[in-house]
Formats: sequence, structure tokens, C-alpha cells
Amino acid sequence: MNRSTQHAFEPEEIMAYLDGELEAHQASALASHLEHCGECQAVAAQLRQVSERLLDFQIEPCPAKLSDRIVESSGQEEQSAPSQSAAEKKPNRRLVRGLAWAFYSALVLVVAWMAIPNLLRSKMSPEQASALARRRIQQEGTSVDYARVGPAVPPPAKPSNGRTATGLQTLATPGIATDSNGNFHGLGDHAEGIFGGMPGATAGKSEEAEKAQGIEAPEARGPMIVQTASITILAQNYDQASAQIQPLTSARSGYLQDMNANSQTDSARSVSATLRVPDRQLEGFLADLRKLGHVEQETRNNREVTDAYIDLTARLKTARATEQRILQLLGTRTGKLSDVFEAEQELARIRGEIESMDGQRAHMEHEVRYATVQVQLNEEYREQLNPESFSTGRRLRNSLVEGLGNLAAGITGTAIFVFAYGPSILFWLGVIGTPAWFIWRRLQGTQKKDSNQAV
Amino acid sequence: MNSDEQLILEFQKGSRDAFREIFERYREPLYGFFRRRLENPARAEELTQECFLALIRNATRYEPRASFRSYLYGIAVNLASAEWRKSGREVEQVENHDCAAREGNPDAALWVRRALENLDKADRQVLMLREYEQLSYSEIAGILRLPVNTVRSRLFRARMALKEKLMPVQGDAQRKIEEPR
Repeated sequence: MNRSTQHAFEPEEIMAYLDGELEAHQASALASHLEHCGECQAVAAQLRQVSERLLDFQIEPCPAKLSDRIVESSGQEEQSAPSQSAAEKKPNRRLVRGLAWAFYSALVLVVAWMAIPNLLRSKMSPEQASALARRRIQQEGTSVDYARVGPAVPPPAKPSNGRTATGLQTLATPGIATDSNGNFHGLGDHAEGIFGGMPGATAGKSEEAEKAQGIEAPEARGPMIVQTASITILAQNYDQASAQIQPLTSARSGYLQDMNANSQTDSARSVSATLRVPDRQLEGFLADLRKLGHVEQETRNNREVTDAYIDLTARLKTARATEQRILQLLGTRTGKLSDVFEAEQELARIRGEIESMDGQRAHMEHEVRYATVQVQLNEEYREQLNPESFSTGRRLRNSLVEGLGNLAAGITGTAIFVFAYGPSILFWLGVIGTPAWFIWRRLQGTQKKDSNQAV
Repeated sequence: MNSDEQLILEFQKGSRDAFREIFERYREPLYGFFRRRLENPARAEELTQECFLALIRNATRYEPRASFRSYLYGIAVNLASAEWRKSGREVEQVENHDCAAREGNPDAALWVRRALENLDKADRQVLMLREYEQLSYSEIAGILRLPVNTVRSRLFRARMALKEKLMPVQGDAQRKIEEPR
């Protein structure tokens, strides 16, 4: 029968009662129950016995020397720490904890402030990302807009009576400045002092003028991504598949950059081609290629060049602005012929840079606009039982010719060996063989003599 | 006679006599605490000393919300746990026969030690704090950060396990205690 149906108290409660851990009303009830319940009395007795048995585990007294050490330590602590209240001795734990929380909260906020814009940008649409990039560039003091490259000259300074007002004033172009006399600094020392008193030398160009000579940027787009893909296809019908590569590329407004076909006898044929297709056509083009056969391998790689493009465009604008300024100065200023010559040289150098950067920029735009697809098309090769292509007579003749050739090669090789190693062999035969021959002869002579004597 | 809490508050204010009084009260119990849990008596003595030194250094942190006994044994439990972690093994019960009790029956003491060693670690901790340190359920719960009911059930489980080991089976009452509920 279940114990709980017979007893109002569990053994655990009896234990708590013995330990003095029961509430007063429960304790009194349990005490009265214990008076007439023999079973619960037995439980209580066992629990008491356990506690009594545990008391057998006594240990030796504490060493007396401990007392001295501790009391000494207590005295030292007292001397080192003045008798102050707890709050005065130690910093408040709550205060320390609060400061720690404040520090970590500030740290988290700073990290979030730094990380969230990047996270947001990664989730933005291309247009939003482009707008954000423009704003950021403007905040950084650069008027570069990679979506629409505009004027390179900073906001025009107001001309004051034809001269810059005071001191050294920095022009739009980095590294070029005019002093209070309008003389140039920073374009090399040779440019300094040529163009004296230039009114409005620091004045920028109007927006219209900048547009007229500015760079027509590619259409607005998001992050500039150079896309490359590589696909390896195993084609059952190799001829048909290889013939489709070119038409498929043309259909997507792409072009074939290079192609390398391999068609050896008794082996699988293959063709390797580098194709360029507009970036927006890449997915469709790859889908077309996948239909040519079984895709064995396909890889994709995207490389963002937005930062590099922005940087290049900014440098290009700066160089153009410098070019225009030098042209303007050459047209309006007079100076020594040597100075003008040096300015022309500087102009030529800057134009060279502009051409180079223009080329880089165009190449970058092309890389972005046209994705690169590397196609490797392999034939699913089937070994074929080829009938003999040569007649028996031809084969015999070929064998004879081959045998004669082998004979001639053998004779030649033997002759070469004899000429190459013959003298050495003869020499060593003479050195080793002659004494050996004499010894052998002597032994033979001795044997004959012995046999004669025996006879 | 001042309570422990009054003494520690006086010690916080710089009373050396108050500390001496605390020390006299808890010297033997604390040494017993470590001695029963450590094999090496010298190490038990060192840990007792460390416990009092920790009390001296951290006396200002004591707030009279909890009993001083809980506070002091809390330090002792932490020191014993640190010792266990440092040695890489559990702070076993005494196995050295030379350390047998000087009072009472040495064989019985050894028997008890062996029985304690065979208990579950968590159950043993609760049982020893109750039986030897005479801490209340709530004080044990506060030190070990356990609910009081968990302390009570662990204590009961430990005592029942010890009953098996320390005493022969006795009659029906014994069996009825163990009946499933």
C-alpha cells in the first residue's frame, strides 16, 4: 500500500522536522503524529542514527600556530588600511558595475555606429547604394560622382578686384596653389613666378563649362562588379554543341574573345573559348550553355571595382582641371620663352596621364559591362574500332623501311660506341689482361711440367 | 555576547578585537571544513588561513543582508572549489589512514569517510554543510545558489544513501521508506 495514503507526512518532511526546518504548525502536527505512528518513529530513528554515525568523522584540532599567523595578518591589514567604513575603503560595487555597464554599452554603440552603414549598404538597391556613395564623397570634400562624373573644380571663389585677396590660397587641383601675388606653387618650381598677378586665378569654372569639358560618365548604376564565369561542359554531340557556341554568343550581343580547339586522332576533342557577353545577359547566356551538354564544373566570381573606379575618375577629373587651367594660363599670360616651354612640357605630361587614365577607365567600364565567360567544351569520347587504313603491301614495305632504318641506326650506334669507348676498353684490357695472360701461361706450364714428371 | 554580524561590522570599523573574537569562534569549524574535504592537513591549514585572510581583505564587502556564517562558508566553499580546479581533480575525502580521528572510534571514522566518498558530489556537499557545518537549508541554498527544496531533496537522498552504507537493513520500516510514491 502506498505510504502517502497511510501517513500524512513524507519521510523528507520528517527529516526536515528533525532538522528544525518545518513551519511551526507543520512541526506541531508532525510531532503529534510521531507520538502514535511507529513507522514514522522508525524513520525518524534511522535519520537520527545516520546523523549520529556521521559524527564519528571527527578531525584533529586546529594547529595553534594558525592563530598567530592570522592575528598577525589581521594587524598588518589594519595598519595598511585605515579604519574606515566599508563605503570609504572600497569603491562601491554597484558604482563599479554601473561604470562597467556604461563602458560596454558605449562600446556596443560605437561598434554599431560603425557597422550599421555598411550592413545597410549591402542590403541597399544599387540606386540607393550609388546615392549613398555620392553623399559620402561629397561629405569627404570630393565632388566625384562615379555615376555622373561632373565638374572637377571646387565651388568657385569670388574674384576680388581681379586678384586673390590674401595669403596662400589652395586651388582645386591638389598640389597647386597661388600666393598673394597669384604666382603658382606646386607645379614644380619652374612654374612659380611665371604668371604674375592673375586675376581670379582661384576662381572655378561654371557648371556649364565643366559639363562641356567634363567626362560623360556611364549610366547610373550600383556597385560596379566585374563578373567572370567558368563552365566546363561534356557534350555528347560535340559537333553540334561546338557549332552553337558562336551563335549563342552573338544572340546575347556578345563576342568571342579567343578560342582554342583541340582535335587529335584517337582522343576526345575539345574546344576552349573565352566569350564576352553583356553583364545583364550573363545568366541567360550561362543557361544557354548548360543546354549544350552535361555541366561538369561551373564557377562564378564577382569582383567589385567601385572604389577603384571612383578613385580613377577623381584623378582623371583633377588632371583635366589642371590641363584646362594650364591652357587658360598659357593663353592669357606672358612670360619667358623657357617658362612657357616648361609649362608646355607640364601640359604634355598631364595630357599623357589623362590619356592613360582614360584608357584605364574605359577598360574598367568595359570589364564591368561585359562579363567574361570561360567555356571548356569536351567531347564525350567513344573509342572506335578503326578498320585498317593501309594495305598489306604498304604495311610490309613500311616494315622493311623501318627495319632498314633500325639496322642503320644499330650499325651507327655500335660504331659510335666502339669509337667512343673502344680505346678505353683496349687500354684496360691491356692493363688487366696482359698480367692475367702471363699468370695463366705460367700456371699452364707448371701443370705440364708436373704431368711430365709424373709420367 | 555580540552576534557574528555585530562583530564583523565592528571589524569593518577597525576593531581588531572583534576580528579576534570571530577568529576564535570559527577557527575550528573552518579548519574542520577544509580538513574533511582535503587529504592534506597542511593544505587544509593553509586554506583556513587563506579563508581568514580573504575575510580580512573583503570584510568591507560584507553587507548585513545575509548571515555572517553564510558569508564565511561561502568564501570557504569557493576556496575549496578553486583548490579542486587547481589540483585538477575532485577534493576528495580524506583517504590517509594516519589522519584518522583522534576521538571516538577510528574505524568508524574511516567507515564514514568511505561512505561519504561514495556519495554523489552535489549530495555530499549539501550533506556535509548540514551535518558538520550545521548550516540551515536556506543558508546552504544561498551558498550553493540552489532552491531550498533542491537542498532538502538532495539532503534526503544523501541520508538515505548513507543509511544503506552505514547501517544494516532494519525491518519493514526501512523498506517502507523506500517505497515509490
